[in-house]
Amino acid sequence: MTERASTPNASRRGVLAGMAAGLAAPGAARAAARRKGGGPEPRFLIVLGGSGGCSIVDSFMAVRESESRNGKILNAWPDSLVQSPGNGPFRAIDFSSKTIGAIPAPFTANQSEFVKRHSQDMMVVTYTGTSVNHGVAEHRSVTGNAAWRGRTLQEATALAYGAGRAIPNVHLINGTAFTDRGTDDSLPSSAYGERVPAPNLWPLSLDGYRGVKGAPDRKLFEAARSFRDGTLDPQSDFARTFAASDRLKRWFELRGAPLRDIEGGDLITQLMVHPDSEDMPLKAFGLKSSPLAKKVREAFPAYGFDPIESQAALAFLLIRCGVASTVTLGPENSAVFNKGAALGRGGLSAGDMRNTPIAFDFSHQAHREVQSLMWSRVLSVADRLITLLKSEELADGKSYWDHSLLYVATEFGRSRNRPAGAMTFGSGHDLNNGALIVSPLANGGKVLGGVDPDTLMTYGFDPLTGRPDPGRNMTEAEVFSGIIQALGIETPGAGLPDMRIMRRKA
Amino acid sequence: MRIPAPIALALTAILSLSALALPPTAARAQEAAPASPDPRVKFKDGERYLRDLAESLEIPRKEICLELSRYDCADKAFRIVLGGVDPYEIRIMQPLDQASLASPIAFDRVALQVCSNRVARDKADPATAVLFKPAAGRPDAAWREALTDRLYDRILRRGADAAERQRMAGFLEGLEARTGRSPKGQADQTLLACFALASSAEAAFY
Repeated sequence: MTERASTPNASRRGVLAGMAAGLAAPGAARAAARRKGGGPEPRFLIVLGGSGGCSIVDSFMAVRESESRNGKILNAWPDSLVQSPGNGPFRAIDFSSKTIGAIPAPFTANQSEFVKRHSQDMMVVTYTGTSVNHGVAEHRSVTGNAAWRGRTLQEATALAYGAGRAIPNVHLINGTAFTDRGTDDSLPSSAYGERVPAPNLWPLSLDGYRGVKGAPDRKLFEAARSFRDGTLDPQSDFARTFAASDRLKRWFELRGAPLRDIEGGDLITQLMVHPDSEDMPLKAFGLKSSPLAKKVREAFPAYGFDPIESQAALAFLLIRCGVASTVTLGPENSAVFNKGAALGRGGLSAGDMRNTPIAFDFSHQAHREVQSLMWSRVLSVADRLITLLKSEELADGKSYWDHSLLYVATEFGRSRNRPAGAMTFGSGHDLNNGALIVSPLANGGKVLGGVDPDTLMTYGFDPLTGRPDPGRNMTEAEVFSGIIQALGIETPGAGLPDMRIMRRKA
Repeated sequence: MRIPAPIALALTAILSLSALALPPTAARAQEAAPASPDPRVKFKDGERYLRDLAESLEIPRKEICLELSRYDCADKAFRIVLGGVDPYEIRIMQPLDQASLASPIAFDRVALQVCSNRVARDKADPATAVLFKPAAGRPDAAWREALTDRLYDRILRRGADAAERQRMAGFLEGLEARTGRSPKGQADQTLLACFALASSAEAAFY
């Protein structure tokens, strides 16, 4: 049986009213303090990495067989499966299958619900990448192929909006290059990503003392730290001998203000999603879960075993609690099944396979099934994360979502050909694709560029007017620039192209 | 063989300067260590750190540090944060290039748990105590010195020099004013001194 995640259904107005009634809001308080100090209005970047190639022609730019002269031998979808929700510019594939290629794993996938709920904030941008190597292309999807001295979108966001946040740039996804460090070494260390390999246990690493049984009083513990930091280490032969070591310098630096900021923010509590339970006996160790944990667990009920739900749960808390200005998450490369799912003689039950092995890249084996299932998975997580962010006020009647941009990054598209009329077939990597951006800051409700129905290849657009241009392919650098500009990041001297059409405001 | 006068003079000068540069051993031990011309150190990742302490503090490796009494600190809870890899589950093939923001905090937490664990065992079975051995009467300089020697020997696997004994004694005396002299106070002093040493740079890097 599928463990269907519920979506928080409290109205935004109601929740905002609740907030105003006095629910503690550490992130909002910090945001207000920051603005009083003249800092920039907060912005949040959520990178949702779709590893393996999220194909835009299997989602929002799908082509119907009847629209293409080569519909039977290219990856044009049967007309009945291609939706046009609300008659807007976005297409959507709602597809069910009893198998994923040769695997008896029935599922039902849906894209149209996401379009109905978020079309006003959705912006699809065509582009053609420069590599079909997974790692290279993943990294280029967040650096715009080194468009701005090699810094990543996340690093640029952390630099612009991370001041005063304890951990500005948090990397929750594992095993992909969406989180590789950029090549701009001139940035302050706080801009680079903090890896969070195990979201459910990671909060325990944010306090050196709380929850350790048998430890003396905290003041005594801090006295021991002071002795170590002020006397023991500085006067030790070891530290003197290796004083010039970069590793030691960083270690000593991290023990200072960064440590105080993290422990001072009580992040071991604020970011704890788990309730007190047999698996996580928090109470017995003097710990407790976040005041927002119940709400987050309701939105992501599979947080205990599904990596992307544990990532998304923590991603929300990191933004909401004022800890991070950017988070990177996404489906990982291991297969994920529902709890208790078993491969019996009859195969898996409907929806038991939540994540295909190697994520979107399992399209090599079963293109349509994998694209449908994985898009549905990514959109479901995005929808719930957006809904949570909409439900919380940041300041001045605006929600966290009003200040956020979600970018579904991916490496490349997929090859377009298929055996004549086949529903199940494998695909390869293809440079040509498009990206999904969802944000009130972006020029939503638009597909920028177009798709040639006879080749299924996407083409570009005029960066200032948005006029479709069949003779042009957009670049990774242009997508990167459009995102940077939509986020309002200053780019003096960067030489980035003006992507006016991707911004909601000039 | 005759040595030409200028060379003899130069040799004499060099030998004289060398003699000046080499003070007696005792005095030399108190001097600042020379800076390494190639200061490369490696982080002792969580697994290596806990294996070493398990052996030297005589606690079974599987019991030395468990978060929430369930999750092994190095293998499960803080594996990557403490410099480990996990190629099979999450495709992290290389240790973190640089310590993460959480690394020194997690390291402190692990050191505190290990020391707390050892002191609890010592209290439970004084006959096999490794670190915490209550003073027969009032804790004095000899008790502090013996404790310091045990800590350095067990944690850093070397003897403490005179200056280090003096510094640790000062720290323990300062603690005594806050913890009291009771066996509990002595146990707390032992635990905190253990923590300071076990979380020092010398314990974390090699």
